[in-house]
Amino acid sequence: MQALHLRDARFRYKGSTGWAIDGVSLDVEKGEFVTILGPNGSGKSTICMMSNGLVPHALPGDLEGTAEVFGLDVRDHPVAELATKVGIVFQEPESQLFCMSVEEEVAFGPENLAVPRDEIGERVEWALELVGMKGYNDRSPFSLSGGQKQRVAIAAALSMRPEMLVLDEPAYALDPIGRIELYSVLKDLKEKHGMTVLLAERDGEEAAAFSDRLVLMKGGRIIKSGPPRLMLRDPEDLRSIGVTPPQVADVAHLLNARLMRSKFSFLNVDEAEKAIVGEIMAHKAGGGK
Amino acid sequence: MIPSAPSSTREKIVSVQRLKFTYEGGVEAIRDVNLDIGYGEYIAIVGGNGSGKTTLAKNLNGLLRPTSGSVVVGGKPTSEQNVAALARIVGYAFQNPDYQLFCSSVEDEIRFGPTNLGYPDDVVHNNVEKAIEAMNLEHVRKLPPLSLRLGERRRVSIASVIAMDPQVLVLDEPTTGLDAEESSELMQRLKRLNDEGKTIILITHDMKLVAEHAKRVVVMAQGRILLDSDPRGAFSDHEILRQSNLEPPAVTQLAHRLAAYDIPRDIISPEELVFHLMKAIGGT
Amino acid sequence: MAAFVDLYTEADTFLHRMDPRVKIVAVLLLSLLAFLLSSLSYLLILLAFIFLLLFLARASLSRTKFALKFVLRFMVLIIVLWPIFDPSGSPVLASLGPIKITEPAIWRGVTSAARVGCLATVWYILMFTTSQRDLVRALVKMGLRFDFGLTLAISLRFLPTFGALIDSIKDAQRARGLELSKGGLVKRSRNYVAILVPTIVSALRTADMLSLALQSRAYGARSDRTYLRDLKMRASDGVALGVLVAAFVLPALAKYVFNIEM
Repeated sequence: MQALHLRDARFRYKGSTGWAIDGVSLDVEKGEFVTILGPNGSGKSTICMMSNGLVPHALPGDLEGTAEVFGLDVRDHPVAELATKVGIVFQEPESQLFCMSVEEEVAFGPENLAVPRDEIGERVEWALELVGMKGYNDRSPFSLSGGQKQRVAIAAALSMRPEMLVLDEPAYALDPIGRIELYSVLKDLKEKHGMTVLLAERDGEEAAAFSDRLVLMKGGRIIKSGPPRLMLRDPEDLRSIGVTPPQVADVAHLLNARLMRSKFSFLNVDEAEKAIVGEIMAHKAGGGK
Repeated sequence: MIPSAPSSTREKIVSVQRLKFTYEGGVEAIRDVNLDIGYGEYIAIVGGNGSGKTTLAKNLNGLLRPTSGSVVVGGKPTSEQNVAALARIVGYAFQNPDYQLFCSSVEDEIRFGPTNLGYPDDVVHNNVEKAIEAMNLEHVRKLPPLSLRLGERRRVSIASVIAMDPQVLVLDEPTTGLDAEESSELMQRLKRLNDEGKTIILITHDMKLVAEHAKRVVVMAQGRILLDSDPRGAFSDHEILRQSNLEPPAVTQLAHRLAAYDIPRDIISPEELVFHLMKAIGGT
Repeated sequence: MAAFVDLYTEADTFLHRMDPRVKIVAVLLLSLLAFLLSSLSYLLILLAFIFLLLFLARASLSRTKFALKFVLRFMVLIIVLWPIFDPSGSPVLASLGPIKITEPAIWRGVTSAARVGCLATVWYILMFTTSQRDLVRALVKMGLRFDFGLTLAISLRFLPTFGALIDSIKDAQRARGLELSKGGLVKRSRNYVAILVPTIVSALRTADMLSLALQSRAYGARSDRTYLRDLKMRASDGVALGVLVAAFVLPALAKYVFNIEM
C-alpha cells in the first residue's frame, strides 16, 4: 500500500475554468521523501491538500481519476479521518497556529482524537524534542520567530503520529536562519526517523540534497520525475519549468561541459567541495595533464 | 556585473547621520547608523530578522522618526516633514501587497497615491499611465487588484507607489512568494526604473537577489551597519555575512571553501566559479 | 493592544494558584454582594477587602494604577453629581434655584460611588491572577461549549496579531499619502475604507487558513475530546469557596429573612 497513489488525477476548483491538476499520476511509497518542484500555479499545493482530503472536502471542486491515501479514496473519507494518517504544514506560520501556548498547539491534535492524557503529554514532549523546541511549552506563538513557528507547526502535525507528513512551501516566509532550522528538521525526520514526507517547493536549492525523488511540475502536469541526481543533471530541465536549480547543479553541469566528461554531480556544497578538491589534487599530482 | 563605488561622487538624496532608534517597548532597533545615498543608486540593505533594516527603511519615509540623530531626505530633515510630504520623495512598497490593495480596479488603486498628494489631474493621469506601463499591468488595468495572483498584486502595489513619482523607491522583500519567472520579470522592470534615474533601495535577506542586481550592499546586524561596499566586497567577507545571519549564495560558499586553491572569494555566479576552477583543474 | 485584554501578571500567590473556577464564582458573588449591601460602612469594608486581595495578588503597580485611574475618576464624578440630581432629604446644606444639596444625598452619592468602586475593581482580581488560557479552560469546564471556548481563545490569541496588522496597514496607506486625521466627517470615513478593506480581507484570509488548519488537526473528529491540562479543585479551593459562599449567604439571610440592613 502506498502513502499516496494518484492515477490520472484531475481536479478543478469550484468556479474555476482551468484544471489545477490535469492528469497527474504520482506514487509516494512509505518511507520515501518526495519533493515536488514547480512554479506558482503548477498544482503542487493542490496535491498537498489532496493528501489529507482538504481537497475535495474543504476546497470543493471536480475530482476525477484515482486519488488514494494509504489505500483510502479521498472522496469517501472525511478530513478528520485522513488527518489521523496525514499531517500537513502550510506556508503561513501565522495562520496555522491558533492556540495561546506552544503546548496547547501541539496537544490540540491528539486531544481531538481523544488520546489519553498521559499519552498526550508524552507525544507533546516527543514532538517538541524532534523539532528542537523542547522547553518552549508555555511560550505564546506571538513571541516566536518565523522559523520557530513553523517548527511548532511541524510538531503540532507530528503529535498526531501521522504516517506521512506533507509540507506546502514551509519556508515561504522564513529568513535564512529559519530556513536552515527548518530543513535541518526535515533532514532529521528523513534520516533518523524514516518518515514519509511530501514536500512542495518553488526553489530547488535546499531539499534536493536529501530527497529520494524530485517531481517537476508545471501547469498542473508532471513533466519529469526521478532521483535528484538524474533530475539535476541538466539544470535546464528545472529552468524550463520555471524553477531555479541549485547553483551547485549549474556548477557541475558547466564543469562537465567544459571538461567534456559527465562525472560531476553535486547535490550540495559539501559534495561539490569534496569532488572539486579531489579533482584539483589529482591534477596537481598528475603534473598538469 | 560592473562594481561601482559608493556614492561619493553623486549628489545625496538621503543622508542619515548618527541615527538611533528605540521602539516604545524599549527595543533599541538602530544603534548608530550613518548612511548617505546618492541619486540614482541601486542599493540593497541586507540583514537577518532583527538587524534593523526594516526600521531603517521606515525612518526614510517618516513612518518612524529618529530617537536621536537625523535623517535628511531631499534636503530637509524628516522631523520637519510629514509622511504625506515625504511620500513624494520616498515611495515605500511593503512586503505584503495586500496591506495596500482595496480599490475596485487596478487603475483606481494606482490613482490613489497621486490623488492623495493633490497632484493636478493631468499629472495624475500621466503618472498612472507611466506606472502601468512600467509594471506591465495594461492587461489587468480594469480588474480588481484583489483578484490577481501574488506576482501581479505585488506589481500593482509597486505601481501605486511609482505613480506618486518619488525619486527613491524602497522595496521590502519584493520577491517573496514569487517564482523564478515572476521574480525575474519584476527585477527587470526595477532595473529599467533605475536606468531611468530612480534610486532603488532593496530591503532583503536574499543574497542571490543581491548578487544579481544590487550595485551597493549595506550589511546590517543588531542595529548597526557592519559593511557598506559593492557586492563583491560584501560577498568576500564571509565572517560578516555569518555574523549578520545571512547565507551567501551556494556558489559563494563553495568559493570560500576553495580559497586555498586560489579561487577568489567574491564569486557570485556559477559561470565565474567554473572559469576559475578550470584554471585550477588545468582544463582549457 | 494585548495589554487591554491580557492583564495577567505572572507571580506565585495563593490567588494565582487558586482554581480559576473558584475565582470566577468569587467575582460573581462579590459583585452580587456589592448590590446586596446598602450601608456605606459595609461597602467600604468590602472595598478594602478587594484592595487587600489586589495587594496580595502582587499586581504590578503600573497595571494597578492604570486600572484604577478610570474607576477613581468615575467614583469622583458620582460623588459630585449625585447630590446635584438628588434634592430629597434634610438638612439642606446649600441651594441654587431648583438644585438643593442635602446631607443625606451626599451620603447616598458616596455609597453609590463605593458600590461602583467595588463592582469595577473586583474583576481585576480575576484578570490579574488568571491567564487567558486558564480563563477559557475554566469557562469550558463550567459548561461553556468547547466550540465557543475555542472561538473565544482564538479571538484572544489573534487580538495582538490583528492589532499589529492594522498598524501595518495604516503605515502602508500613510506611505501613499493617506492622511487619517485630516478632513471632515465624510472624507475621514472614506479614508478609513482604505484601512478597513485590507484589514477585512486579511482577516478573512486568515480565517480561511485557520479553518483548514483546524480540520487538518482532526477538529470535530470525535465528541469525546480529552484535555492535556485539567482543572482539579483542591482542598484549599474548597475552603475558599466555602468562605465566599458564607460571606454572601450571611448578609443575604440577614437582609431577606431577618430584615437586617447591612
